[in-house]
Amino acid sequence: MNRTTFDPHTPFAATLLDRRSLSEDTALFSVLAEPAAVEPLARFLPGQFLQLSVPGAGEIPISPADLPSADGTLQLCVRRVGHVTEHLHRAEIGCKLGVRGPFGVGFPVEEMTGRPVLLLAGGLGIAPLRSLICYLLRQPERFGEITLMYGAKQPQLMLFREELSVLAAQGRLRLYLTVDFAPQQPTGDFSCAVGLLPELLQGFVFDAQRSYVAVCGPPPLYRCLMDELLGAGVAAERILLSLERRMRCGIGRCCHCALGQKLCCIDGPVFRLSELQRIPEAL
Amino acid sequence: MEHAYFKQTQLGPLLETLRLFGELHGPVLSEAGVASFAALDDLGALRLDYGKTRIPPKKYLFPFREELLQYRDGIYRQSPLDPPNIVLFGVHPCDLAAIAYLDRVFLAERPEPAYALRRERLTLVGVSCEPDDFCFCSQPQEGGACDLFLAPRKDGFQLAFAGAKGAALAEAARGLLSEARPEGEMSAPFRAIPAQDPQLRFSDHPLWQKFALTCVSCGACSVCCPTCYCFDLREYPSLDGGGTRLREWDNCLFATHGEVAGANFRASRLDRLRYRFLHKYCGFSPLEGMSSCVGCGRCKEVCPVDIDLRELCGGPDAAAAVPPAPLRPAS
Ligand SMILES: Cc1cc2nc3c(=O)[nH]c(=O)nc-3n(C[C@H](O)[C@H](O)[C@H](O)COP(=O)(O)OP(=O)(O)OC[C@H]3O[C@@H](n4cnc5c(N)ncnc54)[C@H](O)[C@@H]3O)c2cc1C
Ligand code: SF4
Ligand code: SF4
Ligand code: FES
Repeated sequence: MNRTTFDPHTPFAATLLDRRSLSEDTALFSVLAEPAAVEPLARFLPGQFLQLSVPGAGEIPISPADLPSADGTLQLCVRRVGHVTEHLHRAEIGCKLGVRGPFGVGFPVEEMTGRPVLLLAGGLGIAPLRSLICYLLRQPERFGEITLMYGAKQPQLMLFREELSVLAAQGRLRLYLTVDFAPQQPTGDFSCAVGLLPELLQGFVFDAQRSYVAVCGPPPLYRCLMDELLGAGVAAERILLSLERRMRCGIGRCCHCALGQKLCCIDGPVFRLSELQRIPEAL
Repeated sequence: MEHAYFKQTQLGPLLETLRLFGELHGPVLSEAGVASFAALDDLGALRLDYGKTRIPPKKYLFPFREELLQYRDGIYRQSPLDPPNIVLFGVHPCDLAAIAYLDRVFLAERPEPAYALRRERLTLVGVSCEPDDFCFCSQPQEGGACDLFLAPRKDGFQLAFAGAKGAALAEAARGLLSEARPEGEMSAPFRAIPAQDPQLRFSDHPLWQKFALTCVSCGACSVCCPTCYCFDLREYPSLDGGGTRLREWDNCLFATHGEVAGANFRASRLDRLRYRFLHKYCGFSPLEGMSSCVGCGRCKEVCPVDIDLRELCGGPDAAAAVPPAPLRPAS
């Protein structure tokens, strides 16, 4: 856990710079944080989260979809699901927001140095994993081969597919896409497999003894993937899961985010499977 | 820690002296006969023979609703807060132990500004208690984490004080006090129930099912618990474009506690009772391994369906196992 010197209770001011729609209910928001936030944000590690405030609506935990830029610009990929996210989606460009953080434990990037990395994303789980991909790709010589398997319900819900395809074409990333079902795929559109992530994983040959695997997706995804990964020979210490819980304070106090005796906001949101095996509530 | 003695007849003057340090509050009885901590404008209202208050003293540090932030033109700032100095008189050792626990939660790491300020301005005067039918700390206790502690003795009180605040109080009351040798060991309970094995939440004890079936999720057990502090943060816009963010007590027995958009991580009552068991008797990170039950017995007393989670704890007499901790200053 990073030591924080800033006041963790009061949001920094931030400004909404841009909104780019990614699907019917999901958009990528560029948010510029005030200069005082630049230093704490520079310590951000992929997998950590921020508390994003929408004045008048409230505060929600969001895992940034990219590393904060040097001037404090954040890329936040947010799905419209309720009160706060609805307000955010309707906010005018230029309006004021707030950010606290970064909080929590991110991916153990030091330890992953020199290792192949397999990323498994389901649906919106691509958002936190995208910041990990950005991190890994900035220092490609430092890490082994990077593979992303990404499953979405249907092709239109596949986020970032163009940029991911470009990365794959450049040979920077091995990419496998799959959709639960494909209604009618117009010819010329990108192609992907039809099926679930665990099925995709079954036929996949990789260096299970050395790889780190990072997983993020809806809760049922974790349950079906864990047996596959352990069966393939990945040690539980190297299976990294980014978990979601209800969060209010983000700093280990309000107690909404408990899983067993752990608090997702300070002990996670990224956990090793080995840490979770004694916590039946976790998965 | 130092000791002194004062006569019963000096209690009134002592209380008047305490007023010099802030608003004097203490246990009083409502018309309905319910004990509560309230302002002692009239010293005659003080009831030192009270059993326990329905709402514990946490309300002085962690009010039901507290404004933490304000925003204007989209910029958040800490809300101004200037709580009065309060001298809380007549707090029992279990409630003192509970405050010491809350101090660890709110002050140990990244101290919360509102709690810290209220705490700084709160002077605690403890008093020994008589056990009632519901409480269960090992024995009547004499002491606790406070500035001043009073233990009844023949025709008066033995008084112990600790820390800078305690010394200042004793100094101000010097004319009322006489020298005393400590009589008996002044000690405080810390945890009435030792930390429990977290796996007990999945034990096949039949009471788990029974409690899950009978609990009505009213949340009274948590409201009345002196160490329960789950909170929600809520934002209230005002008509002029500004607004406030408030911290409000939340309740782990409510179905909404673990709810997120599209899922609920503690959807069943059994899940929520297990959560409560863990938080009370096993501790959450970073206080993992620490029980927070101080044995006041409020939860059992207020539960409309007589649920007592303690019955699910391991060991024959959990309470007997804790050695008393010595008296220490509150801060
Ligand atoms: C570590 C973490 C990272 C996340 N990253 C992203 C992300 O990158 N993109 C994204 O779109 N979503 C992300 N989420 C989920 C996002 O926080 C919720 O969708 C959001 O809080 C919903 O708020 P709402 O007010 O719109 O929904 P409502 O359903 O109206 O929410 C009601 C209340 O429940 C709370 N709540 C609802 N869902 C959640 C939740 N999942 N977690 C915590 N509180 C919740 C809200 O704060 C609100 O007060 C993340 C969640 C966590 C825990
Ligand atoms: S759990 Fe019950 S007995 Fe223990 S401190 Fe809380 S209210 Fe008192
Ligand atoms: S007081 Fe009793 S009925 Fe009410 S929530 Fe607590 S255990 Fe359930
Ligand atoms: S979000 Fe408040 S304790 Fe984790």
